[in-house]
Amino acid sequence: MDFGLVYPALVAGRLLLAFAPLPDALKHDHQLSSPLTSYPRLQEGVYLFQHGIDPYSGGLFRHSPLLLSLFSTALPLNKFTSACLWTACDAISAWALVKIWRARQRVSQSSRDSLIAAIYLLNPYLLLPTLALSTSTIENMLFLLSLMFASQGQSSPSLLALALLVQLSLPSAIFIVPMILLLLSDPVSRLASPREFNTYLSSILAKLGTFLGFSFALTSLSVLVCGNWTWVEQTWGAAVMLPDLTPNPGLWWYFFTEMFDHFRPFFLMVFSAHLLIYVLPVCLKFQHDILYATYILAGVYATFKPYPTLSDPGLFISLISLFPETYQYLRYPIVTTLLHLHSALLLPLFHHLWLSQGTGNANFFYASTLVFGVSNGAALLDAIWAGLRIAVGNLPEGYELIQK
Amino acid sequence: MGESAARSVDERWKGLRNALSGQFCASLGSLDEQRTTSPELTFRPEGSLPQWGTTHQLRHGTLPSEHVCTENLTPFLKLLPCKSLTGIASLLNPHRLFDADWHGLGVHVRYLENEGIEVRLSFQSVFDPVRYSNGRRDWSLRSVFDRVIDRSCPIAHSSEIRVAIPKEETAVAITPDSYTTHAGFVYFNVSNASKPLDISMSWPDEQKFEYATVSSAVPLTHVSVRRTLKGSSQSRGRLSVSITNHMPITIQTSYLESMPWLLQFYLHSLQIYSNGVSRDDLISIVSYIPSVPHVRPTLFQAILTLPPKSTLHLSMDVIKPFLRYTEHPPDAQRGWDLPPAVLVPLLHSNSSTLDPGLSNPPSGFEQLRLPRRMYTPVLLVDLATPDFSMPYNVIIMSCTLIALIFGMVFNLLTRKFTLIRVSPEPK
Repeated sequence: MDFGLVYPALVAGRLLLAFAPLPDALKHDHQLSSPLTSYPRLQEGVYLFQHGIDPYSGGLFRHSPLLLSLFSTALPLNKFTSACLWTACDAISAWALVKIWRARQRVSQSSRDSLIAAIYLLNPYLLLPTLALSTSTIENMLFLLSLMFASQGQSSPSLLALALLVQLSLPSAIFIVPMILLLLSDPVSRLASPREFNTYLSSILAKLGTFLGFSFALTSLSVLVCGNWTWVEQTWGAAVMLPDLTPNPGLWWYFFTEMFDHFRPFFLMVFSAHLLIYVLPVCLKFQHDILYATYILAGVYATFKPYPTLSDPGLFISLISLFPETYQYLRYPIVTTLLHLHSALLLPLFHHLWLSQGTGNANFFYASTLVFGVSNGAALLDAIWAGLRIAVGNLPEGYELIQK
Repeated sequence: MGESAARSVDERWKGLRNALSGQFCASLGSLDEQRTTSPELTFRPEGSLPQWGTTHQLRHGTLPSEHVCTENLTPFLKLLPCKSLTGIASLLNPHRLFDADWHGLGVHVRYLENEGIEVRLSFQSVFDPVRYSNGRRDWSLRSVFDRVIDRSCPIAHSSEIRVAIPKEETAVAITPDSYTTHAGFVYFNVSNASKPLDISMSWPDEQKFEYATVSSAVPLTHVSVRRTLKGSSQSRGRLSVSITNHMPITIQTSYLESMPWLLQFYLHSLQIYSNGVSRDDLISIVSYIPSVPHVRPTLFQAILTLPPKSTLHLSMDVIKPFLRYTEHPPDAQRGWDLPPAVLVPLLHSNSSTLDPGLSNPPSGFEQLRLPRRMYTPVLLVDLATPDFSMPYNVIIMSCTLIALIFGMVFNLLTRKFTLIRVSPEPK
């Protein structure tokens, strides 16, 4: 089907859905938005800012000062502008995904474009957080824009988008290394024929310098907006210190709810370091196809992030549409799909039973987040396996494949 | 102030509440920083402030879950010169006092310039004589307190009992006869009265007391308040306050909420309705200090304008935080008590009567009997609890999942694929 027809139709459908009378409970749902991305908190922060109270003096507002300044000056937050803005973010993200696919295939258009756009725009893991007006949609848009510019070889826009993304969400700093490496290579698929990555250290350092320059400028802008440095502890500090234990589909919240205070700092360090240790090995193993490494790291990010929402695994699942060459090597796609379906149905059910109805307790929801973690982990492992297996290709007669 | 006196206001506040806690056997020491605010609009200084050349700071704390009991009354009475042996204080029978419908114990310390420090100890309770007798509202000191005054306190400057005469037209008999009347009150001088003194008031023409129905009852106060927490979810709710103004003039009142961080306000969702119409002009927010989890409570002070003979509805979204395992109290399923909201009615500026909130009201009543401060009842909020039997299980299950995923990823990333021949070479 023609991309030029499907894409506007999907965007229009999204826009209509955004203007439909949706239940207000969607904005407060804990699966769709976390304390770092919640829309009512954004409204509260903008309101306090406009009335002269420092929104970072309390513990409620954890969005970046850049969003604060955007929504208190340029874009007022009401039903009309929010619906348009969030739909536009999703539309731009889908378009960026299609451009990444085209860059990977080295074509200017292909027959799969509309399928890729549909996979992004119709994914319920991405649709529902957008309808809930969670700012994770903006984060996904920045990630895909950065990836698109990196695939096209434009380093400044890519690093600027990445710097903006790190301003909004500190754990996305794991994408710095693969994005820089992607800028120094190209996104063309080389999974089937691995080769060594040849580059100079000076070019890596140059790109890193650009990124740090953008980050420094944005941090200074944030300090200018706020007038002081309290925002650092409330926004970036929240991802490290986990002050808010609101339930979400991730693995951190219940672990740190049940933790005794004596062990908190140690385990916070362990969980944060755990997120970082995947970066270098994945980039080294997939140095022949850095786009695939970014995809794997998006899976790691979705599973092990401090305050995840459903849009993080949604991004990972939508990115799979870029790698059709791996589909025949996936070992258990049905199991992964069913696990995801299972946990996606259980998560809201047990959340409702625990908090609204009161007939279940926290363990129900915790168990469903464990199943969700298993399903994300299964998808991640299958993706890594398929990416590596494709290099071996068809097995000749009488040979077996082992790992040693 | 000795050499070892604490320097900062907060250290001295801590010393004061610990001293009061020891003095009155109350757990006032737990009025720590998580319950202390500085609401300067609502609590104006009474008396005068000593001129020390530095600015004064205000500290205010509430402990809503602490109940007053005999344990607090006993050291309180020991502060009186005659203790509870003679004088009016001998009436304070703990069995009856704490059985009353409402009771309160107060210690007020003021500094008055040229006079010194004044300490006022007060005990208030609201009795319902209809409950003790068989439906009659006759009362006497014997029937209410189960005691009479045998001796007056010899070192008291004045010892006086004041009885209010009911405003209705029914005949009332008061014994003994040795009283003076003034402005709707009857005064007994305890030192001169004949002992044992048993004051009683009876309604001889009435057989049984008829409770007034709600619709016909005259409101006892000119302003009435009701505060509730709505919503059945353990993640969010709605705080709703209804203030009714029964008087025919406009009243302004200051409204204070010092909410601990157990309930966090969404100030942008504040809505005011007066008689069904949204009126944002009736509130002006004077100060708002948002709460910081584990550190300090919310302080919200506003001035509300109450139109005559109308009801104002104030409502705001609140969210309930999720506490750590160690922060829950032993009976976690009961919930947490939230301190009352405080309303201080101020009169409208074009009224001629004095603002009663500022100065010491005279011992009689003015024609407009506005209360000095009104406290709403305490609210109970239930927060979501984790499973308290599960810390070990949660840690091992989460760590197992993370370790398994890490281990398998590590496995895939560090091992190489090799082909091995399993069937023999074809010859």
